[in-house]
Amino acid sequence: MNLFENVRLALEGLRANKMRALLTMLGIIIGIASVMAISTLGSAMTGSVTKTMDKIGGKNIMVSLSPKNYDTQSTLQEEDLITQDELDAFRSTYTDQIKAISFSTGMGSGQLNSGFIHKDVSITGASPDYGLVNNINLVQGRFISDRDMDGTRNVIIIDTTLRNNLVGVDGDVIGKEIQVDTKSTNETYTVIGVYEKLVIDNPLFYMGDDTRIECFIPITTAKSLNPDTTNLNGYENFTIMATSNTDSAAFALTTKEYFVKGLGALSDFTIQAESLEAMASEATGMLATLSLGISVIAGISLLVGGIGVMNIMLVSVTERTKEIGIRKALGARNSAIRSQFIIEAIIICLIGGIIGVGLGSALGIMGSTLMKFPTSPPFLPMIIALCFSMAIGVFFGFYPANKAAKLDPIDALRYE
Amino acid sequence: MMRNKIIEMRGIVKSYYLGTPNELEILHGIDLDVYEGEFLSIIGASGSGKSTLMNILGALDRPTKGHYYLDHLPMENVRDDGLSQIRNKKIGFVFQTFNLIPRSTALKNVALPMLYGGVPRSERSRRAAELLQLVEMSGRSHHRPNELSGGQKQRVAIARAMANNPAIILADEPTGALDTHTGRLVMDIFHRLHQEQGKTIILITHNAELAEETERTIRLRDGSIVDNRMNGHYQLEACNESV
Repeated sequence: MNLFENVRLALEGLRANKMRALLTMLGIIIGIASVMAISTLGSAMTGSVTKTMDKIGGKNIMVSLSPKNYDTQSTLQEEDLITQDELDAFRSTYTDQIKAISFSTGMGSGQLNSGFIHKDVSITGASPDYGLVNNINLVQGRFISDRDMDGTRNVIIIDTTLRNNLVGVDGDVIGKEIQVDTKSTNETYTVIGVYEKLVIDNPLFYMGDDTRIECFIPITTAKSLNPDTTNLNGYENFTIMATSNTDSAAFALTTKEYFVKGLGALSDFTIQAESLEAMASEATGMLATLSLGISVIAGISLLVGGIGVMNIMLVSVTERTKEIGIRKALGARNSAIRSQFIIEAIIICLIGGIIGVGLGSALGIMGSTLMKFPTSPPFLPMIIALCFSMAIGVFFGFYPANKAAKLDPIDALRYE
Repeated sequence: MMRNKIIEMRGIVKSYYLGTPNELEILHGIDLDVYEGEFLSIIGASGSGKSTLMNILGALDRPTKGHYYLDHLPMENVRDDGLSQIRNKKIGFVFQTFNLIPRSTALKNVALPMLYGGVPRSERSRRAAELLQLVEMSGRSHHRPNELSGGQKQRVAIARAMANNPAIILADEPTGALDTHTGRLVMDIFHRLHQEQGKTIILITHNAELAEETERTIRLRDGSIVDNRMNGHYQLEACNESV
């Protein structure tokens, strides 16, 4: 008796009782379908979160000085600021973990004038690494260089929308001079690069349509133009880009401890270091809780489904007592009878599992499409679901099958 | 000429324990020899122990005491799986109520013992078709039992009993559920198998007329053999042999 023969026998048995088999499968179908639906939805959500994190820099740790106590007015002292030397030391201590460090400072909004074109823009002073750390996608020209920094040059990087406004889609804007008026400044900049604005199409990260046009100038230029910035020798905030194999949440803590020590106990300020990854995992944690809840319900459904399978197999064994007796009289071993019934139970569960996987994937895809997540049914949960449904068959089929196998052939033959 | 002893029973006792001290002894020390190619009948009223004897002969049950050699094989200490194998290879059962699998066709029913005997699929179908031809049921090979008459079902059952070419065919009241005419046809098939194929056949019946047709009849009463004699014209042959 090989497996194939057993499967054939089991299918024959099921064909004789189609309706009953289908009803028995229902519990398994519902259980597997709900697990499958939530895992399809879940993987679509985490997949899109990961993708968005990659786009906006999931490995980034934002470090900033913040007052210890918000109630009292505290003013930043020069000794509170993190100096370039401190940063260099930090960087050489954790070379393996740090990919880049960028600095930026907001210059506020202003108006750009070029010929007859007037546009509202916001200006950010940025360091050369800012492009890398914040995933700035340059489509033309270059980003800020060290020489721009050293020379506090009046150079500017604009976005594609602005370029299209100024010179059209195909026009060359590099080298063009534009004038930007802010509250306190009135400067002319040379365009050195054009970047494409990041589009975040993830409903979990939706923050309203951002129509602002952001332009970047060297941070040194920004500081020199900003009369509020009294000192040039320190930073109150910066962004660390961790290497891809670093646990950025853990490294954020390390960073915090490192700089808190440097601050001294007397300072009114402390260091905040937050990793984007940790913030995102908070969002996905919610999903995990939801998944867990649905999994528990699915588990109960599978348990009840399994008991249903066991019940129907027990009925089947009793109904076919005579048949079992005949088979035994003709030379079927106990093991052959046992495997016949176990395989029948497995097949009920497997067919239920296949229907459940199909149904659940369809539901999951429908759900994620409605919520605008790009999705494809996850392969691994499918396999796990099918294996699990087979395991249910084995577990709940064993007792009835064993009962059948242990029947006394004489009693079974006499059974009417 | 020494004939091959296919069954040898010595002092077979079967008792049931319905909780001490209620021990119920059904068979009280049966001695029985059956030779290859014999057509034997076991006759007895209900309650005489013939079903119990048949169960032991058919390796469906174990004796409480005594020795049983089937085809020279000692049956003591054979495990359940071993008994299954013996039933599969050495014994062909024919029952009063046919006992065909209702969901399977005649062909599949005949092939079933070969399935448990590990015969490959194509070989099973070939041999099953051949056996159905032997009992003149070829035309009905794809019919299910509920589409067959009683006599036809019994012919399929006989073909099934022959499937693994067993050492003995055990027929338990094979005509009991049939009318006289179809019963006759079934008996004719047994005679043919006996004469043409030299099969050893044991017929269990309470019908003295049918028993009369066989070579030798054993009469059971209250769990003991009370009579063991050659029938009709076979008697003469046996006398000649013993001389």
